[in-house]
Amino acid sequence: MKTMRFSALTATTALAAALAAPAFAQDDSVTIGITQNNVGVDSYQTTYEQAFIDAAEANPDVETVVLDAGGDVARQIAQMQDLIQQEVDAIIIWPTNGQAVIPAVREANQAGIPVIVTNSNIAEAGFDFVNSFSGPDNITQGSRAAEIMCDRFKDLGIEDEAQIVEITGQPGYTTAIERSDGFQDRLPEVCPNVTLLDSQPGDWNRERAQQVMEAFLVQYDDIDGVYSGDDNMGVGALNAAIDAGRAEDIVFVGATNFAVGYDAMERGEYWGSIYQSPVDDAEAALQTALDVLAGEDVPFFNYFDTPKITQENMDEFDRPVF
Amino acid sequence: MRRQGLARYFRSGAIWGFIVLELIFFTVAGAFLSNSDTGFLDPGNMLLLLKQSAPLGIIALGMTVVMINGNIDLSVGAIFALCAVVMLDSMNWPILAGLGDWAIPFAWGLALLTGMGLGLVNGLIVWKTGVDAFIVTLGAMLGFRGLVFMYNGEQPTYHLNWTMVDIAEAGIFGLQTPVLVFAACILGVWLLMNKTVHGRNAYPVGDNREAAVNAGIRVGPHMVWNYVLIGFLTALSSITFYSASGSVNPNDGMLYELWIITAVVLGGTKLSGGRGSVIATVGGIIAIQLMRKGLGFIGADTAMVNLVIGSILVLVLFLDRQLNRKSKQDLRI
Repeated sequence: MKTMRFSALTATTALAAALAAPAFAQDDSVTIGITQNNVGVDSYQTTYEQAFIDAAEANPDVETVVLDAGGDVARQIAQMQDLIQQEVDAIIIWPTNGQAVIPAVREANQAGIPVIVTNSNIAEAGFDFVNSFSGPDNITQGSRAAEIMCDRFKDLGIEDEAQIVEITGQPGYTTAIERSDGFQDRLPEVCPNVTLLDSQPGDWNRERAQQVMEAFLVQYDDIDGVYSGDDNMGVGALNAAIDAGRAEDIVFVGATNFAVGYDAMERGEYWGSIYQSPVDDAEAALQTALDVLAGEDVPFFNYFDTPKITQENMDEFDRPVF
Repeated sequence: MRRQGLARYFRSGAIWGFIVLELIFFTVAGAFLSNSDTGFLDPGNMLLLLKQSAPLGIIALGMTVVMINGNIDLSVGAIFALCAVVMLDSMNWPILAGLGDWAIPFAWGLALLTGMGLGLVNGLIVWKTGVDAFIVTLGAMLGFRGLVFMYNGEQPTYHLNWTMVDIAEAGIFGLQTPVLVFAACILGVWLLMNKTVHGRNAYPVGDNREAAVNAGIRVGPHMVWNYVLIGFLTALSSITFYSASGSVNPNDGMLYELWIITAVVLGGTKLSGGRGSVIATVGGIIAIQLMRKGLGFIGADTAMVNLVIGSILVLVLFLDRQLNRKSKQDLRI
């Protein structure tokens, strides 16, 4: 893959390649550049990169330029400029900063190179210069979490009296807001008699979530369910409930499954979550880029599927890598 | 004597020879390893190289002056981020937001004042306390970074103004604004170091501080001015870069000080002071940027880039030491 430079999409680039080197130009082959956020920082991103490379290698018509910004905005902007300069056919970007990359994305757009944003979106001011966003749908993750919670209450026969609390992500983050909105909109539709007692931010932080839950446990004598923006916070809440000796009576549901949540589910302490796979994320990004290049009608928000995972079906899923 | 002259000539030219080697290597390797349809030596790519060198390069000019003084400034990365925070945040202030696009020069001015002010703080502490510059600016690096985080927490600070982006991306003859600013700074600092008394005094201050004092140079204020200069250049670099991107993360600029010092040392400036060249520093910056760009071009990952540059730095310092020793032996004979 990376060891070959013989690519050409159009007659002009084929000509340029032929002049530059003894290229054996293959028709229909495309070069896709990707600049990632920070590959080494967590195993989600590491797995993502490997999955992306594997998916590209499996496709004989795709060549890739795989770059990593190492979390450095300046480096990512430089990589965008490099990819534009190298005249790749499409650019996939995992933004280090949803605002700062907008001018660089505009530059690619002006150079006629389609841009696909992956995993987390850029700010709305940049939407005009982007062809598609490929990533998880946080609204759906929230509403599916509501369904998991409701189904469990029905199994337990308490769907008409259950009282729950919510621990959200960092205030102001789109992901946090969407996961909360999705949950709060869907819950009354499936379980109209469940009461949401309180909602407080846990800032994506396990310790913070534990403190929030400790306060909830003091404040409310009857809590039947806890919904948290991700499993990291959910496990924090679980720990608080275990310390208070009330974990047995509470259904814990998260909106993104982490390894800690998966393990807690295996122990039977945590009920369910939403499974978001970095492999699906990477493959969806590549496919979105290919669809855009093929001229297909790709929706602007091109979400990949994030299925429900509970104690009942967890053996269908691998333990999350993050 | 003649051979010493030769060695010296070799030293000052070495960085450019190294750049030529890099260019040849990446052109040849790129032909086999790169997926790109354009060559590495493509003029567009070379112009991009200059543009991408500008943010680090502008600061490195100031670092050269400070290091010739025998000092160092580890706080440039934090100053770089703080200036950007001030610049972008000030444009959201009601008093400036009302001015429309005329807010831009005011925001730039505020950023420059911030940079010079922080440089002044560094310089005064180094002068008045006599604490080693390494320690003072190490403290400043942490302290200024703390200010960045206090300003806006973990959140990015942003203000997207397309006029400002257009100014930052404008250009004459394909030379974009950052390249022009970089060129102007090179000329300015070169003139300062070669045509003014202040600049010529920088060498004796770094070479032998006591002798410089005895010669009547006011060493303290001299060093303070150079810290203000590096603060100014850091702010200018920050303006050039963030006018184009419009958003700053609180972590931005981390490790910049190390990249910059690496480039300055590659260019032959002595860590202990007394010797150094502005033009060779430009060579050092280009060599590093070329390495980053070239290794990306042939498909190496970021970790590999860091490993290679680190190895080359040690190798260069070793060679430099060998050359120096030889020239001294020549003198003895």
